[in-house]
Amino acid sequence: MRSDRLRLLLVGSVLVAVAGCATGEEWATWKSHPTHFASGEHMFFSVRNKEGAAPRVTRKDIALARDEGWWGKPITVSQEQILER
Amino acid sequence: MSVSRALATALIVGLGLVLAQGAAAAPAEDRLLPVDQHTSDKARGLARTHRQALRDLNTGIYHCLPWVELARHSIGFFKPKHLSGDDRYLSLRIYIEQDPSTDFARLRVEDRASAMFSRYVGPLLRRMTKDPAVAADPDLDGFTVILEWMKQVPRAAGDRPIHETIAVFVEKPVAREYLTGTIPITEVAAKANVLGFDGETALGPLRLAVWEDTFVSTYKVANYVLEPGVTCG
Repeated sequence: MRSDRLRLLLVGSVLVAVAGCATGEEWATWKSHPTHFASGEHMFFSVRNKEGAAPRVTRKDIALARDEGWWGKPITVSQEQILER
Repeated sequence: MSVSRALATALIVGLGLVLAQGAAAAPAEDRLLPVDQHTSDKARGLARTHRQALRDLNTGIYHCLPWVELARHSIGFFKPKHLSGDDRYLSLRIYIEQDPSTDFARLRVEDRASAMFSRYVGPLLRRMTKDPAVAADPDLDGFTVILEWMKQVPRAAGDRPIHETIAVFVEKPVAREYLTGTIPITEVAAKANVLGFDGETALGPLRLAVWEDTFVSTYKVANYVLEPGVTCG
């Protein structure tokens, strides 16, 4: 009895904690299209989604998707070449 | 374990998870250069005085321009390397995320730079001066906006992506004229010093042909939902 109540409380707490997260389907949709694209001369940026799907994209989702789509350490100018602290 | 003890433990665990989620939804504080890492009294004074304005700038870009990424320690009162003396510019550096486009890649570097300048410099200057006390500070000499984007994706395994970068330096009087509507963004471009970089290679000053661009104020990431309590004006 006691252990059942404890289990129920723990499950309830975890459910409350994850209530703001995207569903598995939303994740799959977002993560499969993590970046924006520039369409030629108009440089129109867009996020492509699956037809009919309406995922809810949060800022945290974008940060995680960006990590997934990481290209590796870029060759780029260092801040120190431009600015002094 | 008693029921009350179990209840307390469960609530603490749940609260901790909720707080952890909230923290993950906030921008990283390390986008700001710490006060003590500025190398002059003038810069440290600016950083200390306007700390909250810089935090708000970081938060605003994080939530309202989610397709860009602020670089670590890139928001601060830096000294442009090409200037003598201790001129201090409010600076930031963003990486603009976009899929590779062969059409975009075929443009001349000046045209790619002009497109990025048109799109981002005006809106970022407005964000950087949202707190009027920043631009009014007599110790502030100007603004630096560094824009970076991927020029070329890796062509083979083991290759690294190459980024293109422009650093735009705008003197404070020029920025003020633009922000008060006295001059258009085309004149800001004409008066600004713009340095280009191809990967790590300096390209020197670039002359740009810019235009008014409403992308930042009109573009919305599909299905993007702002965090509760956040507004983007």
